[in-house]
Formats: sequence, C-alpha cells, structure tokens
Amino acid sequence: MLQSLLFKLKRFLCFKAAVASFLIYLFIVPSGNAVEIVVNQSVPIREFSLNNIRAVFIMRQRFWPNGEQIQVFTLADQHPLHKSFSKNQLHMFPHQLRRVWDRIVFSGTGQAPVTLGNEQEMIDKIANTPYAIGYLSRDPDNEKIRLFVNQ
Amino acid sequence: MPLQVQAQFWPEDIKVHGFLTQNFFHTSDNNVYGQSDDGVSPGLTEIGLNLSYQPFDRLTLSAQGLYRRAGKVDGGVVRLDYGVADLNLFNYQNGRLGIRGGRIKIPFGLYNETRDVAFTNPTIMLPQGIYFDRSRSLLVSADGGSLYADHRTEFGNFSFKFNLGMPLGDNEEIRSAILGPAAKGEFKASPAFATQLSYELNGGETVFAVSYMNLKLKYKPTANDFISAGNTMIRPLLFSAQYNGEKLGLTAEYQYRWNDYRGYTVTPDTQFVTESWYVQASYRFLSQLQGIVRYDTYSSDIDDRGGQRAVRNGLPNHIAYAKDWMVGIRWDITSSLMLRTEYHRVHGTAWLALADNPNQSTTKQDWDLYALQISYRF
Repeated sequence: MLQSLLFKLKRFLCFKAAVASFLIYLFIVPSGNAVEIVVNQSVPIREFSLNNIRAVFIMRQRFWPNGEQIQVFTLADQHPLHKSFSKNQLHMFPHQLRRVWDRIVFSGTGQAPVTLGNEQEMIDKIANTPYAIGYLSRDPDNEKIRLFVNQ
Repeated sequence: MPLQVQAQFWPEDIKVHGFLTQNFFHTSDNNVYGQSDDGVSPGLTEIGLNLSYQPFDRLTLSAQGLYRRAGKVDGGVVRLDYGVADLNLFNYQNGRLGIRGGRIKIPFGLYNETRDVAFTNPTIMLPQGIYFDRSRSLLVSADGGSLYADHRTEFGNFSFKFNLGMPLGDNEEIRSAILGPAAKGEFKASPAFATQLSYELNGGETVFAVSYMNLKLKYKPTANDFISAGNTMIRPLLFSAQYNGEKLGLTAEYQYRWNDYRGYTVTPDTQFVTESWYVQASYRFLSQLQGIVRYDTYSSDIDDRGGQRAVRNGLPNHIAYAKDWMVGIRWDITSSLMLRTEYHRVHGTAWLALADNPNQSTTKQDWDLYALQISYRF
C-alpha cells in the first residue's frame, strides 16, 4: 500500500520535473544567461544529481565523497549570474536560497557560502581553493577549473 | 605552494554576521512594546552579532549576542542568544547526522529559531497566537544538547531535530499570566525537550513540519506566600505548511496546546487546551516589493472560547481570545536594508503583555495597531 503510494508519488514528481524542465527549456534557456557549474580540479567526482547539487548550495551536504570539505562560493543575490544559476541549475528562486542561508546563519546551525564580488573573483577563488565549487557564465579555459555536471 | 598555504589558512576564517532592527508602534487602545496608545512607541529594538568558526572540518563553533529592548517586558540587556558546538558525526551520499551542545535555539514551527531576526520573519509582529512574545523566555533558547539528522530522497528531503535542555529566562511575564500579577515567588523551568520533523520538496518550495515541546514550570513560594508550590505543564503540538513560489507565498500553522496546572492554592487544579492557527499569503509584486495579508486566531481555552471563566474572576472576557487581521508591505531597499509597515485590526486581548497593560480591566476588545520597521543586516 505504502510502496505503491510512494511509487505513484515518485512517478508524479518525475512527471512534474519533466514538465518543469520542458518549461524551463522553453522560456529560460533560449533567453537567459548561460551558466555553468565549475569546480576546482581537486574535486574527486565529475557529476552530481540535482538533489545533491541543491544540498551542496543550501549547505546541507558539506563533504565530497572522499571526505574533504566542500568550499562553496556564490555571487550576491541580485547578481544576474546568481539569478540565472539559481533558476537554471538549481531550479530554485534566489529568495529560497536566501531563506535557507539566513536561517542557518542566524540560528547557529551552519555557515552560509562565501559571497564574492564578481565573476573574476569567482574564477580566482575556484582556481586557487581546493575542493571549491561555484559557477561561471562560461568555461574559463583554466587548467585548475573543471566543468561539473548537473544530472 | 600558494595552494597549500591557502588550504592551511582556510579554517582560520571567522565568519561574522549581524542585524539591527528598530520598530515603531502606534495603537488606538491598549499598549504594545511600551506606551503605544495615544502616541508612538519606539519600544522594540533588536541588535544581534554572531561569529562562526570551524577549527576542524567536522566541528563548527558559533555564538550570537543579542541586545533586546521590548517595552516594559524586557528592559534592554545583552544576552548570549546561542553558543553552540556543532559536531558532524556521520555523512553519507544522501544525508548526515550530528550533535550540538551548548546554548541552542529551540526549533518550533517555521520561525522560532530566528524569531528576533527581522529579515527572516514574514511580518513585523510574528503571529502572536503561536509566537507569543509573552512566553518567549521559554521558547528562545535552551542550555543542553541536540541531535540532528537530514535524509534526502527522490521524493523529498527530511530533517529531524531533538533538543533537550534547560529553557532560559526569568519567566516573570509567564508567571503573571498564569498566577496573576501578585505572585512574587520564583517560577523555574525544568529541563524540557523540543523536537521537530520537517519535510521539504523541490529545494524548499514546499515545506511541511511538525513540532512538539514538553515544558514544565515549578513555582517556588516566597516566605509567607499566599500561593503554594505548584506545577505547570505546557505541551504544544504545532503543524506547519508553507509554499514558497516565485511570486506567491502561502503559509499556515496550527497549534494545539495542552496545559495542566496543579497544586496552586489560588486556583483549583485545572487542565485545558489552547488552540491557535493562522493563514498567511504574500505576493512579490517586484523582486524587492512584497505585500502580505494574514488572519491569526487564538483561544486560550477551547471549552471556554467566550471567556466566561475570566468574567467569573472579575476580568474582561476578551482576555481569553484574540483574532487578528493584518496587511503589510515590505520593501527590500537593498539586500541588507529593509523597510516595512503593517496594520492590524485586533478583536480580543489574549496576547497583550501584562507588563505593558497592568490593568486588564481597562483594556479594549477591539483595537488597531500600526507598526513600522527598519532593519539592517550584514
């Protein structure tokens, strides 16, 4: 009974996700800014599921599979690249991320990501911080930075 | 090896955040946060500063100092709001498990853990039926320990918290609410537990939570006290649901609270149930401009919604309930500066603070409240 209910729920959510991705493809991808998730070359894996990527950026998943701590970098809430990353990669709204970060910072239950000033700073930080993750508008063609796949 | 050097220095980082909020209130009758009737009261100020430091990968130390001045209830002192050592015990691909020790914020409903941080609250005044300002000393934080766990699945993410600790505060406002303003003995809380299970879908677009607490207070009479040593037990159960869309936000919470007073000579032993709930809708007209509307209702005893017991004790019946319609507007001038204003039409006086309204007989049943808030954070 519970199993079949869970299965139905799962199927419904898959369907919802498919519809959502289609809508995002229709309305956002062609008009929005391109955005790529990037990691420092030291990161031991090449891809994560959407659920895990979200968990990384809401500071719930704090470690890579090899046990090293994930260093998360973002841009300011109002930055166009942050908005585009939040919508296109996480399928979340910037205000949802802000809600989660404020809650952990002001309740003593965690730390927010490090906010950087612009994309150039992001390139420098990702290149020079082991186990770092962030996002850029394009592949920076830097041997210390690798694109990361969001499944 | 600049990379190595940076790696070594990374954990040295101490993160600092803070906030500063000033509120102004005006009421048509009755007082909130000072003398708001026939004037404007600037009686609610909140200033917080927190530090967070990670000496090791799995250990985080955080502390927040809070200055709060709230009418005649809270005269304005600096307190340690939280001081936590957080040890992450175990991680796996889809979750984690950890413990916290120290002074820990109490998880209760959607807003309690950050109830003094204006930016995280939907309105200037949180729905008072549930986030009673009067009983805040029991709800703010507790000295003790906590176990937490997160588990992510394809059909939503679960978070669980179990806290055990000694609630803070002198509880004077709660004492006078329960035993009357003449009670002068110490009203001391016993170690209590608070637990919360929450379920989030789609990165927090939809949130459901259940919270439960078990609070105990013991009255210690003074010499020649006319009130005997009694016990009060308060057990609130709270259900929460929230939708956070791009523009539309919908929130509802329902509280069912068991109360049990025993052994006080001034009142017979009594058990009763308090009920409160609210529904709230917000709309983001622009990314920096939000409108909000809410209906909040509270009955201190569901078997006496009209307040007949209060009348028998010579008090107005409207101290037994409060129904509050509110509308407000919030403007995020920048991401760290916010200005908002709201209007409440209130029927009933159940959540008015006695310290600000010492004579309950002169309070008015139907009243208006206007509030203005400016808040800065970094």
